[in-house]
Amino acid sequence: MGFVDIALMVLIVGGALYLLYRSLWKKKGYCHGCDPSGKCR
Amino acid sequence: MTMQNSVRPFPATEPAPLRIAVAGNPNSGKSTLINSLAGTRLHVGNWPGVTVEKREASFERRDERIALVDLPGTYSLSPYSQEEVVARDYLVEERPDVIIDVVDATNLERNLYLTVQLLELEIPVVVALNIHDEAERMGYRIDVTAMERALGIRIVPTVATKGTGLEALLDAATAAAGDPSRHRPRRLNYGGDIEAAAEALMAEVLRGHPDLAGKYPGRWLAFKLLEGDRRVIDEAGLQGIEPLVARAAEHLISAHGEDVESLMADARYARATGLTREVLTKPDVRKIELTEKIDRIALNRFLGIPLFLAAMWLVFKLTFDVSAPFADWLGTVTSGPFTRWTRVLVGLVHGPAWLISLVTDGVIAGVGSVLVFVPVIFAMMFFITFLEGSGYMARAAFVMDRAMHSMGLHGKSFIPMLLGFGCNVPAIYATRTLENPRDKALTALLIPLMSCGARLPVYILFVAAFFPSRSGTVLWSLYVLGIVLAVLMGILFKRTLFRGDSPMFIMELPPYRMPSGKSLAIHTWEKGKHFLIKAGTYILAVSVLVWFLLNLPWGVEQKKDSYMGTVGQAIAPVFKPLGFGTWEAASSLVAGVIAKEIVVGTMGEIYVPVKVETPAGPAPSLSEDLREIGTSFAEAGRNAFNNVFSTAGIKSLQAEVDEGTTGLRSVVSKTFTPLSAYAFMAFVLLYMPCIVAAAALKHEFGTWKWFGVAFAYQTVLAWSVAFFIYQGGTLLGL
Repeated sequence: MGFVDIALMVLIVGGALYLLYRSLWKKKGYCHGCDPSGKCR
Repeated sequence: MTMQNSVRPFPATEPAPLRIAVAGNPNSGKSTLINSLAGTRLHVGNWPGVTVEKREASFERRDERIALVDLPGTYSLSPYSQEEVVARDYLVEERPDVIIDVVDATNLERNLYLTVQLLELEIPVVVALNIHDEAERMGYRIDVTAMERALGIRIVPTVATKGTGLEALLDAATAAAGDPSRHRPRRLNYGGDIEAAAEALMAEVLRGHPDLAGKYPGRWLAFKLLEGDRRVIDEAGLQGIEPLVARAAEHLISAHGEDVESLMADARYARATGLTREVLTKPDVRKIELTEKIDRIALNRFLGIPLFLAAMWLVFKLTFDVSAPFADWLGTVTSGPFTRWTRVLVGLVHGPAWLISLVTDGVIAGVGSVLVFVPVIFAMMFFITFLEGSGYMARAAFVMDRAMHSMGLHGKSFIPMLLGFGCNVPAIYATRTLENPRDKALTALLIPLMSCGARLPVYILFVAAFFPSRSGTVLWSLYVLGIVLAVLMGILFKRTLFRGDSPMFIMELPPYRMPSGKSLAIHTWEKGKHFLIKAGTYILAVSVLVWFLLNLPWGVEQKKDSYMGTVGQAIAPVFKPLGFGTWEAASSLVAGVIAKEIVVGTMGEIYVPVKVETPAGPAPSLSEDLREIGTSFAEAGRNAFNNVFSTAGIKSLQAEVDEGTTGLRSVVSKTFTPLSAYAFMAFVLLYMPCIVAAAALKHEFGTWKWFGVAFAYQTVLAWSVAFFIYQGGTLLGL
């Protein structure tokens, strides 16, 4: 496993963590009860 | 008409838009009217209390920008409920350019009570005489001209669901806003002594607080002070005025023998009743409406609850029958052609072996395992939307209200709980319709026991593996288990954490209506798309992370030796008495804390590394794959059709289990027993709320306290119930 593999893995894990942070914490989860802009009030 | 589906604020450089507040009684069709006017998709349902907060939609019409504000439905402007406070605060403080008062033509008298109050706000009002078609069908004749004369405002008959009369309504609203000086409604005269007392009081108040003259409509403020409206006194900064108000009210009380608030309410009711008699002609011979006929059975003291349970059973049976063949089809497409194409694509970019494994064994196995249940979710949301739109959900709340009240619970709480069948998060927000903070917290605590759509993939997986011929009944039993436990926990909480009586619950029952195809399509999509968004965001993210946790430390031979396996093995003994003490089940349950669908996604990754079915000969070409996908889809459609009309159960699922396929369902059927599978489903139903529901609890109550309570009691409850099911079943030899 080379440097490129490790860099790619870090990038993917970082992306997944950011996606989790954004959808779960920052946007508090998108739900059908939310307004069309995706914000839970 | 050029329209924008937008809630954006207009840029500061543009002239201010025309602000139209849409007010009215609950279930009079405000949200539907706004959706028709602005092309938005605000949640509507044929039951009261759908709109809890004010919401805004904007659009352009004849080069004029219009912002519509959807206010929560209220019967009056007295600050007794959260909805009334939200509506009143907006109207009094924001002072929109015009109010569209949506009046339900089939319930004129009750709706006019609010109209009388809106006219006191000194804001131009236009009445949308909505649901006019239904009133005509009932044989009602409303003299619109006489009504306009009596109220001194424009009245426009509308049918919001069909878009009838909306252009004329907007014309009337823009005209009224364009020249407010022409707005001279016929004011309600409360009688010489009340009017005189109000005038004298206002003169006194303005002497001490001249700044209030432009801030509040003077006559309205005086009436509110006479009524002793605490909120208005505080907001207007009139603390200390109470002795003055008491002196003004004293005379009225002694003269009439009633408090001022009751006197004024009587006067408003008298005005609404008188006006209705003047303008409304009802047919001489009263027809027994269809709604009444159905309600005689649906609300029957003895038949009501069995009918509600039967309706739920039918929903689950139909959901399963219609959607199962499509779920099978999606599973075949995902594990077959789709995985093959993905491998080819990753191979084309010379991706390393681990990346191919991450994509196929991680993303496709994880997200794919969840996505195959999309047809089930959409079918379920379709039937729930149908029940909401038909008016039956309001009956369900009414029927359950009686049962809950007899056990000391607040019946109105059942409305947000019913919303929880779709998603617990908006249901938690809907608790703000409850006036009493104690009832609000109690209801929010019980909502996670209502089985939301996210648990459905877990149920479908296990039901299909173990109970294919009794699918509807097993699914139904889980939903009923949730409701029964919610009632029992409610009683327990009421006697411990939330002592005290609940106020009486008055439920408005709307007429039964056939929901329009468009409305069904829009709202099914609105509810179901949430699931797709989750699949593309945090289910995807968790699938990637789970793959890494299953493959670290790097080069690990057995999944049970991975980080995830180690944690799973440490927790597994806790679940052993429940019949599923394996590290795989334990790890899936832990991952499912983020969202309950992730339980299935994680199982997909742990149990089933995707093995692409390689045909004996050369791999099929793209066109052959597409032809096969099309043919199998048509076959799924035929099976769904046959299932609905078949009395022999679900053919496709039964066939697949019998054939012993290599999918997740097959692995699950070998690692669980029917008893441990049912205990597992009960555990998934009951264990702690997902992270988004936890955030909603924190957001709504401003503290983590209630999430802590929910976490603690649900974890104990889930374990105990699953233990009882498994150990009890084992003792009985099941």
